[in-house]
Amino acid sequence: MMGKGMKYAILLTGLFVVLVLAACSNGSSANTDGTETANADSKSTETKNTDSETASETTNSEEKLIVYTNSNGDGRGEWIVEEAKNAGFNIEIVGAGGGDATNRLISEKANPVADVVFGLNHMFFEQLQAEEVLTPYEPAWASEIEEGINDPENYYHGLVKQALVLSYNPEFVNEADAPENYLDLANNEEFAGIYQARDDLGSATAKVIVASILAQFEDTNGELGISDEGWETIARYYENGVQIPEGEDYFTIFASGDAPIGTMISGELAAKQEQYGTEPAFLHPEVGTPQVVESIAIVDGTEQLELAQEFVDWYGSAEVQGAFAAEFNAMPANLEAQDQVTDFQKEIFADVKAQDIDWAFVTENIDAWVEKLELEIF
Amino acid sequence: MDTLKNRWNKWNPVTILLSFFIIWFVFAFLVFPNVNTIYETFFGTGTFSLEPVEKLLRSDRAVQSVLNSILLAIILVFTVNIVGISLVLFTNYFDIKGASILKLSYFSTLVYGGVALNLGYKLVYGKNSPLTDFLTQINPNWDGNWFSGLFAVGFVMTFACTSNHMLFLSSALRNVDYQTIEAAKNLGASQITILKNVVLPTLKPTLFALTIITFLTGLSATSAPLVFGGKEFETITPMILTFANSSSSKDLATVLALVLGIVTIIVLTFMLRSEQKGNYISISKTKTTLVKQKINNKTVNILVHIIAYILFIIYTMPVLAIIIYSFTDAMAISSGFITWDSFTIDNYLLTFSSLEAVRPYLISLGYGFAGSFLVVAFCLLCAYLMKKYNNRLTRTLDFMLMIPWFLPSTLIAVGLTVTFNTNQWVVLNQVFTGTLWLLLIGYIIVNIPFTLRITKSTFFGINQEIEDAAKNLGANAFYTFIKVLLPIILPSIMGIYSLNFIGILPDYDLTVFLYHPLYEPLGITIMNATGNSASADTKALNLVYTVILVILNTMILTAVYGNLRFRKRKKV
Amino acid sequence: MITFQDVTIKYDDFTAVKNLNFEVKDGEFFTFLGPSGCGKTTTLRSLVGLIQPTSGEIYLDDKDITNLPTEKRDIKMVFQSYALFPTMTVYENIAFGLKVKKVEKAMIKQKVADIAKKVDLAAEQLAKKVSELSGGQQQRVAIARALVNQPNILVLDEPLSNLDAKLRVQLRNELKSLQKNFGITTVYVTHDQEEALTLSDRIAVFNKGEIEQIGTPEEIYEQSNSEFVCNFIGENNNITKLVTNHPERFDRLNLEENNAFYSRIEKLKISLFGQTYPLVEDELSFTGKIIDSEYYGIYTKYSIKVEDTVVRAVLKEKLSLGTDQNEKVQVILSQQHILQYK
Repeated sequence: MMGKGMKYAILLTGLFVVLVLAACSNGSSANTDGTETANADSKSTETKNTDSETASETTNSEEKLIVYTNSNGDGRGEWIVEEAKNAGFNIEIVGAGGGDATNRLISEKANPVADVVFGLNHMFFEQLQAEEVLTPYEPAWASEIEEGINDPENYYHGLVKQALVLSYNPEFVNEADAPENYLDLANNEEFAGIYQARDDLGSATAKVIVASILAQFEDTNGELGISDEGWETIARYYENGVQIPEGEDYFTIFASGDAPIGTMISGELAAKQEQYGTEPAFLHPEVGTPQVVESIAIVDGTEQLELAQEFVDWYGSAEVQGAFAAEFNAMPANLEAQDQVTDFQKEIFADVKAQDIDWAFVTENIDAWVEKLELEIF
Repeated sequence: MDTLKNRWNKWNPVTILLSFFIIWFVFAFLVFPNVNTIYETFFGTGTFSLEPVEKLLRSDRAVQSVLNSILLAIILVFTVNIVGISLVLFTNYFDIKGASILKLSYFSTLVYGGVALNLGYKLVYGKNSPLTDFLTQINPNWDGNWFSGLFAVGFVMTFACTSNHMLFLSSALRNVDYQTIEAAKNLGASQITILKNVVLPTLKPTLFALTIITFLTGLSATSAPLVFGGKEFETITPMILTFANSSSSKDLATVLALVLGIVTIIVLTFMLRSEQKGNYISISKTKTTLVKQKINNKTVNILVHIIAYILFIIYTMPVLAIIIYSFTDAMAISSGFITWDSFTIDNYLLTFSSLEAVRPYLISLGYGFAGSFLVVAFCLLCAYLMKKYNNRLTRTLDFMLMIPWFLPSTLIAVGLTVTFNTNQWVVLNQVFTGTLWLLLIGYIIVNIPFTLRITKSTFFGINQEIEDAAKNLGANAFYTFIKVLLPIILPSIMGIYSLNFIGILPDYDLTVFLYHPLYEPLGITIMNATGNSASADTKALNLVYTVILVILNTMILTAVYGNLRFRKRKKV
Repeated sequence: MITFQDVTIKYDDFTAVKNLNFEVKDGEFFTFLGPSGCGKTTTLRSLVGLIQPTSGEIYLDDKDITNLPTEKRDIKMVFQSYALFPTMTVYENIAFGLKVKKVEKAMIKQKVADIAKKVDLAAEQLAKKVSELSGGQQQRVAIARALVNQPNILVLDEPLSNLDAKLRVQLRNELKSLQKNFGITTVYVTHDQEEALTLSDRIAVFNKGEIEQIGTPEEIYEQSNSEFVCNFIGENNNITKLVTNHPERFDRLNLEENNAFYSRIEKLKISLFGQTYPLVEDELSFTGKIIDSEYYGIYTKYSIKVEDTVVRAVLKEKLSLGTDQNEKVQVILSQQHILQYK
């Protein structure tokens, strides 16, 4: 009968796949062993383990670094892999959003897959540090970074600065009618329905905007450290604002005029402008513009600590960060790389005054704020 | 002799070993992680605390979401059953012209679901779709965002959730003894009376099962409310997702999930009780095959044809839209407006610009094959034991295996990662987080309840005498199972196998928590390629991925069902 | 009165029945008898209106009902599998047809109770699910369900075939008395000749889609007009060889026209060795030897070898075999009981 052959075919495929999966994961369970011994013992066992692992995987004979990042889009990932290869590093990039990457690192704490993580902003790094996912290391270039950016305990160090610039689309909003700052948007009825109020609080951008608003209402007696006025303001901000529909980009509705006032991210701006042909006009609130720093850190429990350190030393150096800035229109935190910054970035940052936010206070409370927003304000 | 044999069976070392394996598996992967999560929620600080519950009760949004989910589930029970029954009648019971083409479109929900399906409906009914443009043209006051809220979610899910009807209700209908229909006709019953009093009551047990599944689907709806619900219609699962992603709010996610679980348990208990009342035993020994009924009343006949073809259009448009738009440029996709110049194959070239693009497919295929194979094997084993030994232990097992139905997959995933990221004695101090196994275990777990229900009902449908006959002829239990029982249940088993497989391929909700970062499955790739962070023509890529998935799934289904149909014909 | 006129029924290119012509009289118990696949059920279904003839007409009392749908015909059927509705109780099953006709509730109750009594169904069984009944009870429900509508004609499609032998005989008798009591025209389909002979007023024997013979049970049995009917009904001895070996002795047969000769086994007489049997005019005697016997209680069936032909005969008394004396017998054939065919 015909079915017989098929039945066995399926049985066989099933078994085969199970076996293949089993074989593949041998590599990772070797990791576990490796971690334990590497922590306790010398480097020789470590190398042996990795050798056996790479032998079972056919891709490469060198030691491979696993790098988690959220900054791999638009060709960045490919560029970094290529440059690293030229510098003698064999890396594999695992891309995930900031929140996803953070959750993943925390859940893998006991059996880390990643060696290095970079690109997340300092709020995520604070969380990772608190969860004891990172191991401290002071890179060679640590002193070249703008002051106040690096973690004083050397858990993470800055790479790229992002300014979250409140902007409007001059095709739809006159300069005279433009708002002054986030509070203006919330308090002034005439902006109702034309500005973006991002409610995707899993994303770093939305969180920073929330922090930027709430930090102005710090009140030790208020709920979660914020005064009642602060809560009322942010409630109004979200009530009058336009939420970005699921699956759409903030720049799309900014460009189309559906919500022509919104927050631009300095590092993405050049690509967006080119894609949509819309040039935003920037606003410079008195209180300042919130800035976040994308940083780099080494994951605690990596089997290739030395290699990871070498990679961090290389990647954060003025040379590499300068090249990256030139290639992708970014603003490096490394002061010595700033001569390679594009005019476009220079222009953005020229007028931007950093908002003075007490990040320790924010990091401590942001999760509770988000929870309150999700539950009571939305 | 008989008692002797039974005693021997009871002490069969293989059975004991397998039983211990099942008990261990259920405890280690179904009970332990979830209890662990729940314990952490209420005793996380060391003392029992109801703070998360209070927090949620204070939130209008949370309470409203729970109510919305229940409302959606109730609405879907009615709409999905109405549409589902209609589809099955149109394709299997009434003599409708062009039924084979209708069938093809009605089956389309089997080959694409979740995110892809929503994308299809968005292309057809969304803001920039040709349909909306047309509506605004005839009525300038027409709201471009008309397709949102409860109506839109209900609409999309009504047509999206009929796959199980098409599969299981159709086969139940085919099992109706045609002589009963003839008898009713002979006794003077009209066509509508026959349908209402003879045919539908026979389908009642299947309809009960489908109703439960529909209710659960509605309760835990994720992607449709996210895409079409908007602010005015939020449901509970997206909220759970949000909270589950934030480490400090995981307790809220757990509590919300528990609410879902409790509602589910209540509904299940209620339904199971009324299911027992509605049960019947088929008594016909010689069944005659169903002959399609021509509708005698001309007006009704025309009306039924019209409805059948309206459904055809509703089912076909989203698939067609996905396929057509996947061949157009970004401009056409975002504006909805297609000209001759819009057509291009660049999207496909872009997707497959490198060999790397094939890797996620292979990984997901691997997980699909292995995952559904293992879950089917596991459920077969459980069902077999349950049939053989109906005692308190197996009844408890039956209930335990339903746990994944009580909890949303997101929470199961969180439970797994949180529990197995440290050494656990229950799995011999292995750490599963960061290995390939975790995702495989996850896929197995979430597919257990449905698979078990199907395998169980198939198993219990086999005449005991057949098994006895094989044993009487000298076959041992294993041989009997492989040579006699398995071939009988194979059609259902293959059906559920391919359904699981198709479900695993594009999964995101569960996968994102559990996958090994170096082995990225398809769902993750699609999400990364289409998420907000990527600025390229993400929608076009999504469409291409969807089309390829549709082709893959169609191939799998035709392989399975085409083959079985062939078998059947040979048997006759 | 039912009249079939030139009825032909085809499925695609297969002709199930061809050119049927027959009448069923009012109040008659009429049986379609034949092996499976002979077209009897097809004919029955066309009478009930479950299928349409390809050509020809069916009349009920001179009214053409050929194209009348089954629900409009006053012909109720009992199906082979009984086709009881598994989701309904016994009561609901029986009441189904009345409910469809929108008969008053009290009336339905009355009628169901009456019919249940007549078919010997206890009142407490009415509340049961049909799956809880035995096979015999299920059959009675099926008959009650048809009869409660007081149809002109009752039609039964092998209703006894799913039952065990004893029950079959018992129900056969019940069926006959039911039919007598109701006086209802009944058309019955069976492949069991015993059923046909015991129940019927008249029988139509089907072969390959055609009727070979219509007649009373006696006519069919005693004067089978074809070799097929002769072979299908009753037990026969094929004595063609014997006849052709001794043409001179079989002087009363038409040897020129016919070439197949049969004798029913009970028509054979046996005279034991040593006994003398006075032969009547048309009787012939042959010597034979008993080679086998089957004991039936009421009678014993013996196989006797006469020349190179083995014939069977029945005897009321059982012989004690084993001796030459007992095994040697005279077989007496009566020429008038020999059936001859071309």
